[in-house]
Amino acid sequence: MPKTAFQRVFPYLLVLPTFVFVALFTLYPVTRTVTDSLYKPARRAADPSVFVFLENYADLFDSTHYLGARFVQILGNTFAFTLATVVFSVPLAFLFALLLNRQLRGTGFLRFAIFYPALLPLIGAASIWAFFYSDTIGLFNTILRGFGLTGVNWLGDPNVVLYAIVLLNIWKQSSYCMIFYLAGLQNIPRDIYEAAQLDGAGWFYQLRYMTVPLLRRTTLFVVLITVTYSFQTVEQLQVLNQGNPADRGNLLLYFIFQSIGERRNWGYVNAMTVVLVLLLLAFTLTNFLLFERRDDDKA
Amino acid sequence: MTRRKWRSYLVTAVTFVLAMIWLMPLVFSVLMSLRPATEPINVGNIFFGSTLTLDNYHNAWQVAPWGRHYLNSLIFVFGTLIVQLVTITMAGYAFARLRFWGRDVLLGVLLLQLMIPTGVLLVQNFATVRTLGLFDTHWALMMPYWGSAFGVLMMRQTFRAVPFELEEAARSDGANWWQLIRHVYVPLSLPAYISFAIVSISSHWNEFLWPFIVTRSEDVRPLTAGLNKLFFTTEVGAQYGQLLAGTLIVIAPLVVLFVFFQRQFIESFASSGLK
Repeated sequence: MPKTAFQRVFPYLLVLPTFVFVALFTLYPVTRTVTDSLYKPARRAADPSVFVFLENYADLFDSTHYLGARFVQILGNTFAFTLATVVFSVPLAFLFALLLNRQLRGTGFLRFAIFYPALLPLIGAASIWAFFYSDTIGLFNTILRGFGLTGVNWLGDPNVVLYAIVLLNIWKQSSYCMIFYLAGLQNIPRDIYEAAQLDGAGWFYQLRYMTVPLLRRTTLFVVLITVTYSFQTVEQLQVLNQGNPADRGNLLLYFIFQSIGERRNWGYVNAMTVVLVLLLLAFTLTNFLLFERRDDDKA
Repeated sequence: MTRRKWRSYLVTAVTFVLAMIWLMPLVFSVLMSLRPATEPINVGNIFFGSTLTLDNYHNAWQVAPWGRHYLNSLIFVFGTLIVQLVTITMAGYAFARLRFWGRDVLLGVLLLQLMIPTGVLLVQNFATVRTLGLFDTHWALMMPYWGSAFGVLMMRQTFRAVPFELEEAARSDGANWWQLIRHVYVPLSLPAYISFAIVSISSHWNEFLWPFIVTRSEDVRPLTAGLNKLFFTTEVGAQYGQLLAGTLIVIAPLVVLFVFFQRQFIESFASSGLK
């Protein structure tokens, strides 16, 4: 039966509202970011921008340039921050899920205690941690002094500040990731463990050779969202240290946010956004190819 | 058998200790918010002050128009959600059950949006909002989220699980597309809608950077931006109790809802990961 004109157009009408907004707030800005990153603003605001091809990118990686000197440091911080978050929050999340997956008295309370950080706005969580980290009257230093130790300048010491921010991120991210592991654990059929126990497999064997491999997809997903979120970290910095001291506690998206106001930075903020988007895409696609391929092997 | 029992006790103990550590920020913000402002914590006295007081809440409530911020957050969150529910239902149905030229390309575009979070594109989106003359309006907050790749893909997956025989039966009864979606697909997909709603509401309720950039006045700014202002107007040090009281005012709704609907929250967050 040939389709009527309405039937032909109908699917497009259904997807139109979604794609209007996807086009306006994803496709257009992505394209525009790339093209704008190839221009420098003219000295006078009234003049048209100058096409400079990749010069903005070259400047960003030039340590003698006023932004480049900061950018490389901040990019490095972003990698270190993300790596540290993944390395600590993913195993912690797995551990939490293992612990919470048992029927204990008070499970509801324990789940609340471990999951609530995931529900807090980061800006609120960071306000609480600001109280922990405060140099003079903060909780951490008060406790340290109680043991007769000297306090640490958590947010003012260039060698400490990134650790302080990572710590908060681990606390929050491990809570969030725990949920996915918990769901993953609950999807594993119980009888395979019973069978393994009959064969005399101990708990470590079961964990190492059954649970961990069975949750591989979950792990990949959890790593992916942790990396994606960590690359976009802004709130903690806004509340805790504004990227200080001397950019040792600064991260990429927050730096873009800080640089957006000055007209002379327009090409650079776009170039930095392109770098950020490319990093996210590269990471996501690698991850995607990695587990798509492995799944084919299994089939 | 006893070894097993010991191990069980040990695991329980470890769980409780970790839970207590994770709970610390909440516990201490509640304690601090109830201490008199004149008594900051010090060695030997970190839990309670000389008396419990609600002064910090009273003061925190005075320094910002929280009622207005609450209203703004509600407008932002539900204005986003209601439009999303319509757009993801329509597109989800098209991708689940209709064949059309270019479908795979459009799906690819959706995946692109999943990989590049809207928040990262703030430089250009900010410019777009200003060009459209929407700076400092509720529209600017909501619009970027009206096309939700995550929601569309979720509904596509859900609708595909609805038996096609039901659609055929409804059609032979003379149902048009609207009745089909309204009376067959939507009722059978309620759990997915609830999951999507919980994830959407909590992520936008907590959102900071985008609202902070595209709004300026207190008539539009949501709670997170209000909290940021409280943070920078509070004399850090002397008024921590007040700041933490303000923080608790902001985070209370989701935390309380979570206490009552723990299972739904956890299942919703978990299902957002199944792609």
